[in-house]
Amino acid sequence: MKAGLILLGALVLAALAAPLAAAALGHDPFLPDLFNRFAPPSVEHPLGTDELGRDVLLRLLHGARVSLAVGLAAALAATVIGTTAGLLAAWKGGWMDAALMRLADGMLALPALPLLVILAALDPAAIGLPRGEALSDMIRIAGLLALFGWVGVARLVRAGALSVLARDFVRAARAMGVGEARILRRHVLPELATPIAIATALAVGGAVLAESTLSFLGLGIAPPAPSWGNMLANAQELAFQAPLVALWPGLAILLAVLGCNLVADAISRQRR
Amino acid sequence: MKRWLLAFLLLALPTMAQGRDALTIGITQYPSTFHPNIDNMAAKSYVLGFARRPVTAYDAEWRPVCLLCETLPTLENGLAARERTPDGKEGIAVTWVLREELRWGDGTPLTTEDLRFAWEAGREAATGFGPAEFYRSAYEFTAHDARRFTIRFDKVTFEFASLGDFAPLPAHLERERWRADPRGYRMRTLYDTEPTNPGLWNGPYRITAVQPGSGVTLERNERWSGPAPHFRRIQVRTVENTASLEAQLLAGQVDMVAGELGLSVEQASALMRRAGNRFQVEYKSGLIYEHVDLRLDHPALSDRRVRQALLHALDRPQIVARLFEGRQTVAHSTVNPLDWVHEAATRQYAHDPARAVALLEEAGWRPGPGGIRVNASGERLSFELMTTAGNRSREAVQQVLQAQWRAVGVEVRIRNEPPRVLFGESLSRRRFGGAAMYAWISAPEGVPRTSLHSEEIPSAERNWSGQNYTGFRNAEMDALLEALPQELDRERRREMWRRLQAIYAEELPALPLWFRQDAHLWPRWLEGVRPTGHLNPSTLWAEEWRAR
Amino acid sequence: MAGALILRRLLQIAVTTAILSLCAFLLIGLMPGDPIDLAIAGDPRLSAADAARMRALHGLDQPLLARYLAWAQSVLGGNFGHSRLFAQPVSALLGPALLSTLELLGLALLLALGAGVGLGALAALRPRWSGPVQALALAAQAVPTFWLGLLLIILFAVTLGWLPAGGAEGGWRFLLLPVVTLAFANLAAYTRHSAAALRSALAEPHIRTARAKGASEARVLWRHAWPNAAIPVVAVAALDAGALVSGALVTETVFARPGMGKLIFDAVMGSDFNLALLALLVVAVVTMLATLAADLVQRWLDPRLA
Repeated sequence: MKAGLILLGALVLAALAAPLAAAALGHDPFLPDLFNRFAPPSVEHPLGTDELGRDVLLRLLHGARVSLAVGLAAALAATVIGTTAGLLAAWKGGWMDAALMRLADGMLALPALPLLVILAALDPAAIGLPRGEALSDMIRIAGLLALFGWVGVARLVRAGALSVLARDFVRAARAMGVGEARILRRHVLPELATPIAIATALAVGGAVLAESTLSFLGLGIAPPAPSWGNMLANAQELAFQAPLVALWPGLAILLAVLGCNLVADAISRQRR
Repeated sequence: MKRWLLAFLLLALPTMAQGRDALTIGITQYPSTFHPNIDNMAAKSYVLGFARRPVTAYDAEWRPVCLLCETLPTLENGLAARERTPDGKEGIAVTWVLREELRWGDGTPLTTEDLRFAWEAGREAATGFGPAEFYRSAYEFTAHDARRFTIRFDKVTFEFASLGDFAPLPAHLERERWRADPRGYRMRTLYDTEPTNPGLWNGPYRITAVQPGSGVTLERNERWSGPAPHFRRIQVRTVENTASLEAQLLAGQVDMVAGELGLSVEQASALMRRAGNRFQVEYKSGLIYEHVDLRLDHPALSDRRVRQALLHALDRPQIVARLFEGRQTVAHSTVNPLDWVHEAATRQYAHDPARAVALLEEAGWRPGPGGIRVNASGERLSFELMTTAGNRSREAVQQVLQAQWRAVGVEVRIRNEPPRVLFGESLSRRRFGGAAMYAWISAPEGVPRTSLHSEEIPSAERNWSGQNYTGFRNAEMDALLEALPQELDRERRREMWRRLQAIYAEELPALPLWFRQDAHLWPRWLEGVRPTGHLNPSTLWAEEWRAR
Repeated sequence: MAGALILRRLLQIAVTTAILSLCAFLLIGLMPGDPIDLAIAGDPRLSAADAARMRALHGLDQPLLARYLAWAQSVLGGNFGHSRLFAQPVSALLGPALLSTLELLGLALLLALGAGVGLGALAALRPRWSGPVQALALAAQAVPTFWLGLLLIILFAVTLGWLPAGGAEGGWRFLLLPVVTLAFANLAAYTRHSAAALRSALAEPHIRTARAKGASEARVLWRHAWPNAAIPVVAVAALDAGALVSGALVTETVFARPGMGKLIFDAVMGSDFNLALLALLVVAVVTMLATLAADLVQRWLDPRLA
C-alpha cells in the first residue's frame, strides 16, 4: 500500500511540478532548439533532449499530466458508470439485470483493442468535439476507455450489492419502511467502498496503459501535446539514432501502472 | 573462436554468391493493385516499373523518352500534325510506332490492339480508371498496322508526345473479362486475381509470387526483347516501419532501400555515418513540393505584406540543415531548380526577422499583450496551422514554424487531422483555419493549373472541385495557366514560366518550403540505378542495373 | 446439458456479432472523407468529375442504412467483398492472416501458461521465491507490450543484430521476439492464479495423505495438487482471451508481422473499412469461441460446474 501510494504520489507531484521544474532548469519544453538535438544527459538537460532539442525530462513531466489525467478521468468515468449499472442490476433485478449483464458479457468477450483502434479512428467532429485539439483528444480517449472500462466495475459492484441486499440489516431496514434510495445510499454503497476502490485503482492503471498504446499507434493524443504514448511512438522511428529516448516514457508508464496495481493489491489484502 | 569464424564464413559464402544474381529491395508501402491503369500510387509504379512498360516516360534528366516506341513524335518529324477536330476545335493527331519484337510474357506479340483495348477501357466511364482527362481528350484511336497507331486529341498541349500512364493492356487476356462486365472489371482483372500470369507483363521482369501486404517476387521475363537484365530474381519487400526497414537493411535481409519509398533523409544520413562502408547513397531532389497553403480570405493573411513577412520570418535553410541534414532543396516557388523552366532570378526570401517585423508594422500589426501583434481594432495576429496527423516529420517542422513565427509576434495554433479528413474535408471544402502544410506531387514541367487558377477554387456551386484551396485570384496568372499548355515553342514557354514564378514569389498564395529529396540506398556492389525524382520510378530502367 | 449450453452460447455469439457489425458500420459511415477524397489528394490529375464517377462506382453515394443492408446481405451470402487496400477479395486476406495470428497466439499462450504455472509452482513450493515471483508478475502486468517489444527490437535486432526486427519470412527467428513479448504481457495472471491455486490445493487433506505415503514432491504437486489448481487457471485463460487478442494486435504492429491485428490496423490507417470491419468481426467471433472453448474445458475439469 505504502509503496504504491508513494509511487503514485511522487508521479502526481512531479506532474504538477512540471512548470516549477521548467523554471528551475530554465527552458521551455515546447520550444524547439534546432542547435541542441539529441543532446546527451547533462546538468542542464538531466535526461538529454529529443529530436527537436527539447528537454526530455520536462516533456516527460508534461506527458505525465496528460497521461495521468486521461487515466484518472477514464477510470472515474468507468467507476461512475459501472457502479450505477452494477447497483441498478442488483437492485432492480429482472430484465434490467439480465439486459445489463448480457451487455457486460458481450463487451467482456470482445477483444477491446481492435475495437478501440476502429473507434479511435472515428471523427471527433461527429460527436461534436473539435478535431485535433489536445483537450478534445483527451476527452475522446478517456470516453472511449470508459466505454470499455465500466464492465469490470459493474460486475464487481453487482456481486457485492447482491450480497449486501440479501443481508439481514437491509431486510430489516426495508421492513421498517426505509426508502430504497436511502437504503442504497446508507447501507449498500458504504459496504461496497472497498471493491469499488480496488476496481478504480485497477482501472486507472489499465487506462494509462491503454492510452499509451493508442497514442503509440497514432490514434490517441496527437503531438504537439506530449503524452507518454506518443513520445514512444516518436522514439520508435529514432530507435537507431537515439535509443535512449525510448527508455524513459516506457519506464514512466511502467511505474504508474505498477503504482496503481500495488494500491489495488494492498486494499484487497487489507480487507482479508 | 576459430571454429566460429569458420562456421560463419561457410554460412556467409553461399548467401554472398547468391546475392549477386538476386536483389532484395525494401519499400515502405504495399501496392493496392497491380493493374497499370487503376489508382495511382508510388508503390505500384515502383513494382510495375520492373514488369511492364508504358509507351513513353520521363527519364532521369526529366526529358520525355520512348520506352515502347521508336521515336518521340514531333511536329518536325511529321509524326504529329495540328488539325481541326470534327467540331471545329484546335486538335492534333499524333502517331507512335511501337518497337519491333515486343511481346507479352506468354509469347503473344504486343500490338496496337493492346493499346486500342486500353483506350476503349479508359473511354468507358464504368471501368473506373483513375484520371480520365487523357481519355476524354483522346477522341479517336486508329491502328494502321500491328505497330503503328495514331491518336487524335481535341486539344493541343506541349506534352502531346508523352502518353503518360497510358500503357498497353493484354487484350488477349483482359478484353473478354472487361467486355463481360466493365463495372466489375476492377475486381475481376487478372492483374489482381492472377498477377503471376506471365501474359500480363511486358517488361524485363514478370511477377512470379505475391505475398499480400508483405512482398512481391519478380523473375526475368524470358520474352523480353530489350537488353537482358542482370539480376535473375528481384524481391520487393514491404516494411512500413522505417526503423524495422533500417534494421533489415543492416542485417542484410534487404540489399537496398528504394528512395521512392524508403528511409527519410535524416535516417539515411545517420545510417551512412554508421555503416557507410557497406552502402552508397544518392540524394535526389524531386517534384514533391512541401509548402504552407494560406487562406487568402483570412482577414490577416489576405494582406500580401503579412504573407511576405511570414516567409521572411522562417529560417528554411537552417531547418533543412538541422532537421534534414541539409538534404532538402529550399523552394522559392512551385518549380524545382532541376526543372528546365526554373528561373534562378525569382525573388527569394532570406531569413530576415527585422524585415519581417518591418513588413508587419507596415501592415498595421503592432506589438500587443503577450508578445502577439494586434491591429488597430485590437485583433490578434493569430491563425491555425494544420497538417497531416501522424506524419512525424511534418509535425516536427510545424512546431519549428510555430516557434519562428512566435518570435516575430505571430501566434499559430497547431491543429492536425488525419489525411483523410484534412484532404477529404478541411482542404477540399476550404474549412481550414488559416494555414495548411502539405505537399503537391507533380510531373516535370507540370502546369499548376488546378492549384492556382481562379476557376479551380472549390465551392459548393462547383461541387467542391478544384484544388486552389488558398482561393488565389490573379488575372495574369489565369491567362498564363491557360496559355502555357498550348504553347509549343519552348523559348516562349520559358518566358511564360519565368512570369509565373515571379507572380507566385511576389503574391505568395502559399509559402514555399522545400522540395523533398529521396535517399536512395544501395549496397556498394550495385551500379546502374538512376533515381529520377518524379513519378516515373527508377525501376523503368531496371535492365541497366548491374552487380559489380 | 452441454449441448444446450453450447447452442445458447453460439446464439449469443451470433447476436453479439450482428449488433457489433451494425454499430461499427454506422459509426464508420459517419466519418468525413472517403477513399476517393484520398485518391484526389494523391493524384492532382483527378478531377471532380472523376471523383463523382468513382464514388458512384463504389456505391458510396447511397444512404448509410441501405449500404449496411446491402453489405450484410452479401456477407451473409458468403461474399465478403473486395479490399480496396490490397486489391484482393477480403476472404483471401483473412485466411492467411488468421492462421498467422493463431500461430502467434497459440505459441504465446503456451509459453505464458508454461512459464506462469512453473513460476506459480515455484512460488507455492518455495516461500523464499514467492517474493521475486510476485515482483515479476507485478512488473509483467504493468509493462506496456509495445514498449517491451520496442526494447527487445533495440536490444536484439539493432544493437546485437541477432534476430530480425520484424516481418515473417517463416522460421523461428521471426517468431521468437513477438512470442516472448506477447507471452510476457500475459504472464502475470497465470503466475498469480496458479500460485494461489496451488497453495490452497497443497493445503488440502488428501495432499497430506499422499505425502505421508511417501510420494515425491514432484508427484504430489503435479498428480495430486495440480488437477484441482488447474480449474481457476483455465478460468483465467477464458477471461483473458480478449486481452490476449488485444496484445496480439500491438505485437503484430510493433514487429510488422502479418496477421489479423496488423490487418485491422493497416485497414483503419488506409481507410479500407470493409476490410477493417470484417477482420474485426472475425477476431471477435474467434475470441468468443475461444472463451467458450475454455469454459467447456473448465466444466470438463470441474464436475461441480457441469
